[in-house]
Amino acid sequence: MSYGTRRVLDGVDLDVRRGETLVLLGGSGSGKSTLLKHVLGLAKPDMGSITFDGVDVTRCSPSELGAVRRRIGVAFQAAALFNSLSVEENVALPLRELTRLADSTIKLMVWMKLVAVGLSDAGSLYPPELSGGMRKRAAVARAMALDPEILILDEPSAGLDPIVSAGLDELILFLKRSFGITILVVTHELQSAFHIADRVAMLYRGRLIAVDTKDQFAANAHPRIRQFLDRQPDAAPQVAAEEFIASYLRGSNDDN
Amino acid sequence: MTLLERAGQAAIVQVEDAGALTIQFWSVLRKLPRVVGVSRRWRCAVEQMLAIGASALPMTGIMSLCTGFILALQSASELRRFGALEFVVNLVVIGFTRELGPLITALSVSGRSASAISAEIGTMVVTEEIDAIRVMGLDPVEFTLAPKYLAALITLPCLTVLSTVCGIFAGYLFLAFNMDMSLRVYFQAVAEATLLRDVALMLVKSVLFGTIIVHVGCLEGLRVRGGPEAVGHATTAAVVKSTFLVILADLASTALFYFMGWSSIG
Repeated sequence: MSYGTRRVLDGVDLDVRRGETLVLLGGSGSGKSTLLKHVLGLAKPDMGSITFDGVDVTRCSPSELGAVRRRIGVAFQAAALFNSLSVEENVALPLRELTRLADSTIKLMVWMKLVAVGLSDAGSLYPPELSGGMRKRAAVARAMALDPEILILDEPSAGLDPIVSAGLDELILFLKRSFGITILVVTHELQSAFHIADRVAMLYRGRLIAVDTKDQFAANAHPRIRQFLDRQPDAAPQVAAEEFIASYLRGSNDDN
Repeated sequence: MTLLERAGQAAIVQVEDAGALTIQFWSVLRKLPRVVGVSRRWRCAVEQMLAIGASALPMTGIMSLCTGFILALQSASELRRFGALEFVVNLVVIGFTRELGPLITALSVSGRSASAISAEIGTMVVTEEIDAIRVMGLDPVEFTLAPKYLAALITLPCLTVLSTVCGIFAGYLFLAFNMDMSLRVYFQAVAEATLLRDVALMLVKSVLFGTIIVHVGCLEGLRVRGGPEAVGHATTAAVVKSTFLVILADLASTALFYFMGWSSIG
């Protein structure tokens, strides 16, 4: 699809298999966020389709879309918690709105989710009172509220210190082992990615340049993948800057 | 771009705005029954009533008192020359019921609430809260917009009534100070000058203005793309647009009122 004349996603063909953890890698401007928006039904592609278990979300009715959305849990990059509600109320929200469960049952389910993410004593706090790591974990708890079949995490480790990030990785692995859910993680943190992934896919400038198992991906010889994995900066800007400074100095010398 | 191209583009933007507002209006209207029916939504609407209505009471009251006093003073200084000082009451009553009551309330609420609503919703867009609501399978219109609109539909007529009463009372203060008029005499004059159709127009206008203010605030908020700066732009745009549209709507409804032949006294 395109924004104006800029092609943001071009010919992306991706399968996520049931029960697997797929990590989507990509640098800035690769189209990761746009792809995620499409997968969540927040944007429509110019061409192509997005199918969840046989339901094409780009063409289905609003009620079908609602039913699909109830089977997906999403944790956004900025947590997107509702600031006027406490952590408990945030996690309880999908349950209160979309189920007819009794209040006591909901309270219990919320407590279970908070224990799973390690926030059992932070339930009555409000989002502005939480640290970055706590907010991310609360977002995961809310995403898990309806026991979804699919969990989608947008940059779960962004802005977190290594210890908290490692804790979040362990949480994802725990969820995978305990509930067998399908997990799609969008990230650019390589350590986390290879720790939790079954398969790895990489986007570069809107194109999918690889979809492999973890080990095959690490051995992939594609230049962009190697650059990403080996942390090589783009040579061009540095060289251009040096050349510019050199010619500038030369130019001012000539004037004198 | 030539002047013609610029004018054309501006016209297209205005038409798009009008279209977007209409679409939003209908989708919010359809969700209003849900706000009344679902207790969580009703609680949200009540909170909004406090924010939009109750906290605007002092400011609206004071603005109306001042304006009423000014209106009485200015009209008295002219009517005195014709020995028609007793018509100050009529002017204040008609002025406030037909025009100033709804307008002052709308301007005060627009400044307070159009900005607050657009800032709140704009921030929700930037922090992906609106996306989160959608992705959970909920409808942002029912969740966020409809309670605000219901709150405005209830509080704006109440505020307008308050504004009118304050304005008319300020007229009494002026005449009591100036002519030693008693409250009883004033009250009687007010009762004679008040027409039911004027009061009906006042309430209709208040609902119309409330609709404009909330919907412009929500639309500008939902259109935010970017960061804090965009939220700031949206807030300004919401206040400016809603004020402008309120005055246009005022003109339109006043003109309609006159064309329907209701302007004649009695």
